[in-house]
Amino acid sequence: MMNFAWIALVPALPLLAALLIAGLHLAGPARGERGEALTARVTLAAAGAAFLLLLGLDVSALVAGAPGQVDVADWFASGDFRLPLSFTLDNLSLGFGTLVGFIALVTLKFSVSYMHREAGFHRFFIGMNLFVAGMLLIVLAGNAGLAFVGWELAGVSSWMLIGYAFERDTATLNAQRAFLTNRIGDAGFLLAIALAFLWMGGLDWNTMSHAAARLPTLYVGLIGFGFVTAALAKSAQVPFSPWIARALEGPTPSSAIFYGAVMVHAGVYLVIRLETVLIHTPGVMALIAALGLITALYGWLVGMVQTDVKSGLLFATLTQVGLMFLACGLGLFQLAAWHMALHATWRAWQFLAAPSYMHLLNATTTPPAPAWMRNCPRLYTAALQRFWLEPLADRLLTRPTQGLAHDMRAVDDNVISRLVGMPAAQSAAALLDARDNSATVVRGRGLAGGLLVWLAGRLGDFEQRLVLQGGGGKLAEGMRRLGDWLKWVEGLLEQPRYLLLMMMATLVVIL
Amino acid sequence: MLRLLLLLPLFGALLIALLPGRNGVLIRRAALAITAITLGWALWLASAFDPSVASVQLVESHVWNPRMGSAFTLGVDGISLPLVWLATLLAFIAALASGGIKDKPKGYYMLLLLLEAAMLGVFMARDWSLFYVFWELTLLPLFFLIDRYGGKNRSRAALNFVLYTMGGSVFMLIALLMLYDAAPGHSFDMAQIRAGAHQLPEATQIGLFLGLLIGFGVKMPIFPMHGWLPLAHVEAPSPVSILLSGILLKMGSYGLIRAIDTLPAAAVALQGLLLALALISLVYGGILAWKQSDLKAMVAYSSVSHMGIVLLGLAALNNAGFTGAVMQMVAHGLVAGALFLLIGLLYERTHTRELADYASLVKVMPRFAFFTILAFIAAVGMPGTAGFVAELHALIGGFARWGAWVVPVSLTVIISAAYSVRVIGRLFTGPIASPQSDRMRHLPDLTRGEFTAAAVLTAGTLIIGFYPAPMLDLIAATVGLYAEVFAS
Repeated sequence: MMNFAWIALVPALPLLAALLIAGLHLAGPARGERGEALTARVTLAAAGAAFLLLLGLDVSALVAGAPGQVDVADWFASGDFRLPLSFTLDNLSLGFGTLVGFIALVTLKFSVSYMHREAGFHRFFIGMNLFVAGMLLIVLAGNAGLAFVGWELAGVSSWMLIGYAFERDTATLNAQRAFLTNRIGDAGFLLAIALAFLWMGGLDWNTMSHAAARLPTLYVGLIGFGFVTAALAKSAQVPFSPWIARALEGPTPSSAIFYGAVMVHAGVYLVIRLETVLIHTPGVMALIAALGLITALYGWLVGMVQTDVKSGLLFATLTQVGLMFLACGLGLFQLAAWHMALHATWRAWQFLAAPSYMHLLNATTTPPAPAWMRNCPRLYTAALQRFWLEPLADRLLTRPTQGLAHDMRAVDDNVISRLVGMPAAQSAAALLDARDNSATVVRGRGLAGGLLVWLAGRLGDFEQRLVLQGGGGKLAEGMRRLGDWLKWVEGLLEQPRYLLLMMMATLVVIL
Repeated sequence: MLRLLLLLPLFGALLIALLPGRNGVLIRRAALAITAITLGWALWLASAFDPSVASVQLVESHVWNPRMGSAFTLGVDGISLPLVWLATLLAFIAALASGGIKDKPKGYYMLLLLLEAAMLGVFMARDWSLFYVFWELTLLPLFFLIDRYGGKNRSRAALNFVLYTMGGSVFMLIALLMLYDAAPGHSFDMAQIRAGAHQLPEATQIGLFLGLLIGFGVKMPIFPMHGWLPLAHVEAPSPVSILLSGILLKMGSYGLIRAIDTLPAAAVALQGLLLALALISLVYGGILAWKQSDLKAMVAYSSVSHMGIVLLGLAALNNAGFTGAVMQMVAHGLVAGALFLLIGLLYERTHTRELADYASLVKVMPRFAFFTILAFIAAVGMPGTAGFVAELHALIGGFARWGAWVVPVSLTVIISAAYSVRVIGRLFTGPIASPQSDRMRHLPDLTRGEFTAAAVLTAGTLIIGFYPAPMLDLIAATVGLYAEVFAS
């Protein structure tokens, strides 16, 4: 029988692989085409070992029963707050975790040949390994804190891979956009973590589900809302949908694993994981159902008018994920879990095979949109424009933020920088030039700098006059004077008459 | 065990005395080996030391002068053990960094080892008479090290240093003798003197404490008594500066902790004075460091500022404050050691310490730049470095006691950031405009020995910064015992 503590290795292995490849890349061996074999071997060994480990644990769980919560170690603790390195091993996490491990292994194997001779080969695999580690952590984590670590790892690696071709402006722009949209979800996740710690007394899934039963609905609703926001953003549900279309910028295998198969389901998984919490909040459940339904419709309608295979597949994926959210919102968590597993497998294959099919079929035409849609031009335009979700977000969020930032910048440049003596941004170059011919090191700018210069001058004078002056400062001078005086007394004492006087005085005192 | 630790550098000095004086390489290797063995032995002490016990451990006692009541008593507790480690480590680093000493190496390394033995004696002595002997014993090797191997103004600096310290020591000696008188068994044993001193009336305690404060304050240094420090640091050869700021200053604060424990009523009565001195030292040292354009003088003044944090932690008289003070001693030992090491290496190559003479060194000496930037970041007390853990504890301790009065401390953080960032900017960026620019373009980067020395100190700072738990556990028990006296 395997010890279930081995589970800690499962997310750790890809993480270590990423670090190892990064290290080897810096040191030299994993570079260029010659290093490809090494990188591939490290990656596949880690993913393979993680998958085998999961299978072994599956068998153990089948024989001995799933252990539920497994505490491996304490990560950190401060006061009442405690974040253990704990994992939840039940049928859901073991099942989906094994599936994630399998899809990751297959996709990585596929990528080794697909990415051959690409400039960013090693970078790609670092990102992929990070993603696999993050995703496995989300699925297996025993508490919300650890799941959040995986959540962020997945987010960051997604950003790295969307911006894979960072020489192109669109790629970096899309990466940024996708990452920022995801950060809205992260804010929800963090809020939920903080509230859960405050009101529920812990971040363990078990603790949370027990606490949810006795807390007021409003509290549970707020916590649930935070988690659901995160889930909606990660799974690209309306209104967060637009980022996922931009995410197609990355290489095909990463698109497959991120948006087709695995990461897009992370939100669904989180919702299913929180089933016992969410069922106590009818409002949030209704929200999930409504947004899931809207996303399903959105994905279906927009998918009709797509002309390239990747976008087509993507909107089909959105439709399915929307249906999963709908199922969850209606309380059919079991159904959603099955739907998720089947859909992940199917879609991974479809995404990976799509480029080859395109190649083999030489297909150039896409079927036109159905007649009923063509007959309704407004709907058709709306679908083509993807229901203006992105311009809407720009108008409601991006532009006000930019305006605010602009004003802040003006305040910063005109008031604060002058006050503290920071050089304005434009003049930084001028500043460097000015340094050329100035040998003075001690300079201050602005109000604070001027004050410091003045104070330093005064204190410097003080130091020079009182502490350092002369041979050994005032102290040494005083001691020298004392020494001179003692010498004089000594000289007097050496004279016989004073010596006699001293002796007589001593005698008088003694007698 | 402790006796051997004390004897190792002494025997080493003897061994070097027997070596042929002309063979500089052999002497240097011998000194390196001895300091390394001493360091190893000091680290080995951890196996015999139980951090959960608050009292003094590994005690060895031999009667010295029964009529006087003095004894040769050695022992370590959670406060002195980290300092013993720091002393042995920095002595090893100093020996590593002494590659530039080509003139009269025999005397140099002998004095260095003698100094190490004396410093270890100060930290391990459990008898005030022995403590005083070792305290004064550090002066002799240091005087000769500065006077014979120093810079241009070395005689003045050496004399100044000895005069200041001796002047302080006189007050300390008088206070110690009076304490001896008060001890019930007429003994110099620290525990006995402590028991006797606790019985004294408050006014007497205050007088005695002021005497000790002057003695230790000169060494530490506290604001008006720091006159020797800039000169001595600037003129001393760099490896000696490492020991001077890394360990010698800690002797002062270490003595002060013991004094606070011995005379608690005085410490409580003079708490306000200690806070005032700490805040003045902090701001004063920081501003003057900012004013310097000489690199060594700058680090010297920043030491005044950093030791102000130690004093602040001590003045708080609570658990967090004491913890912060001890941590800051260790942190500053590592950081100041690293800074003097690196600046010394630079000086060896260029023979100028003027900040204005440098630019764009990052291209010429990338490894030097890496460690220097890290060291300055650590000096600011950035999270992730040992200084942060220390400052945080000292601040928490101070805040618990005085609240908003410790706000000026954050001001010094800004000032220290100002001069640190300025140095980084000046050293490593910008166009090369100095008349010696041609030479500045062809400076050799760190050698393997220098690299090791810098890496060890930097790693120490970062390890304690990222994972302070073992270090905090080590000092927790003893500090808890010390803070307990003031809790009620």
